[in-house]
Amino acid sequence: MDYIYSILTLTGITMIGVMGTYMVTGLTGQFSFGQAAFMAVGGYVSAMLTLRFGLPFPVVALLGAAAATLAGWLVGLPTVRLRRDYISLVTFGFGEAIISVLNNSAQLTGGAEGLVGIPKRVDLPLVLVSVICCLFLVACYKNSRYGRQSLALRTDELAARSMGIDVNRMKLVTFLFASAITGYAGVLYAFYSQYLEPGYYNWTVSAEWLIIVFVGGINSLTGAMLSALVLTTLPELLRFASSWRILIYCVIVLLIINYRPNGIFGDWEISRLWKKKTSAGASKA
Amino acid sequence: MLQNIFFGLSLGAVYSLIAVGFALVFNILKFSNFSHGGVMSFTAYAGYLAYILLFDGKITGVTMFVAVVLVAALVGAVTAVGIERVGFRRLRRNQAPVIYYFISSITLGILLENIITIFASSNFYSYPVFFSSSNIQIFGTSFSIADFVTLLFSCVALGLLLFVLYRTKLGLGVRTVSFDVNTASLMGIDADRVVMATFAMSGALGGISGVFLGMNYSLYPQLGQLVVKGFIASVIGGLGNITGAVIGAFLLGIVEVGLIGMVGSGLMPACVFVVMLVFLLVRPQGIAGKIVQEKA
Repeated sequence: MDYIYSILTLTGITMIGVMGTYMVTGLTGQFSFGQAAFMAVGGYVSAMLTLRFGLPFPVVALLGAAAATLAGWLVGLPTVRLRRDYISLVTFGFGEAIISVLNNSAQLTGGAEGLVGIPKRVDLPLVLVSVICCLFLVACYKNSRYGRQSLALRTDELAARSMGIDVNRMKLVTFLFASAITGYAGVLYAFYSQYLEPGYYNWTVSAEWLIIVFVGGINSLTGAMLSALVLTTLPELLRFASSWRILIYCVIVLLIINYRPNGIFGDWEISRLWKKKTSAGASKA
Repeated sequence: MLQNIFFGLSLGAVYSLIAVGFALVFNILKFSNFSHGGVMSFTAYAGYLAYILLFDGKITGVTMFVAVVLVAALVGAVTAVGIERVGFRRLRRNQAPVIYYFISSITLGILLENIITIFASSNFYSYPVFFSSSNIQIFGTSFSIADFVTLLFSCVALGLLLFVLYRTKLGLGVRTVSFDVNTASLMGIDADRVVMATFAMSGALGGISGVFLGMNYSLYPQLGQLVVKGFIASVIGGLGNITGAVIGAFLLGIVEVGLIGMVGSGLMPACVFVVMLVFLLVRPQGIAGKIVQEKA
């Protein structure tokens, strides 16, 4: 039972991380190869604040997310003006830079041996509540003016610009929101696993999140969440060796990209079920 | 000092092979081809295997080195053509948006890396030593022979590529397709064949750089992630511009060697990141100065 709890908890944390990737890729069409680095920033900042200053968990959780947002601002500000290819390069470089800094500041962060002794403050109910809250926020964001403008600029930047959308600002705002959410996922991970090491946050994690988003369909938040749920729990339960798991992911993604480019779910959202019912009800009335 | 500059140049030469292989595909299909990294790992292993299975004990020294490089280049070309067939052909038929190419290339890169991990384990292998003496003396300073050969071979490969691009009919086709695919097809150019040839050239360069990387570092599945250096170099040079990519790569090599001297290899990625960020802020169009417009 403990084993299943731990899988569910880690899946929940991954789902929050995938939400961040979904926002960056699904809404504004940019690729972040350093999304996991924001998780590292959130995790390390919150863990170190607790270890050094003994701040309580809710405070450090907020500060961790804030630190990730700040890092997102530093990375995003120069890059949103550039071609889309550049943001993937810059986020990748950012991820490598964060790892190299963490590895080389052993007195402060424990270096490559990792940061130990973080108190356990996170359990399954908290993660579940967090997933629901974050999901609610992201879903609201997608349907808000911001989300719609982001979607517009993803489809055609030039057209969006000519409609009066401030493209760069929109990209930055979405990127910051995504960094904050990913940072929060990092906080949860730190206070759940009680141990942090720089190697956990390399770019393959970010790439795996991207793949998850793509399998679900970049237009569908529901799809991204379901594919996160399935793709992280199933292999754990079936105990695939990890390189075979990634191999199978890759084949799935290639098939999807070639034969069903919109992902499994296309642009279908679960909220449509409910909306259809209410609109049917409204027409009856 | 002289030694360090030389080391920087040879590092830059390897980066320029990667960057040009990267820029070739960018030139034609207008996306950043991350599967190039997978091709590099793959060919590095292929070269190693060729050494063990075919050439061990039969030939030595420079002959063997040339043979290994040729095998790697050939395997690289074949792999890259295969990648084009599996990953991009259908996307081109569907005229899919650029992000799909991008995702497809990343996926293929990760796929190759994991195939290697499964069949060759994630252990480190050390590459064969090709040259009996490791240093030569010129003007009282000793230079490493491996660096020297790397520089020489890279220049030859680049020269060959430039010849093909600017002096042959195939090269004309490549340049035309990179200008505009549809117009090129109207002019009677078989775009599919040109794209295949481009991938083959890019793969061959990737193969040669794979062997050099294997010699410089050791052999491990993630070797190909050094493709990022090529990416950085081609951004510095101006995306899709071949000459720019070469200049950017040599600059990057020298800067990196300088940084290793100053801050050590551990913090080097962080410093390179800062340099790159500053460069993107100051001159986003790259040294060559032509910015590639996103097609509407």
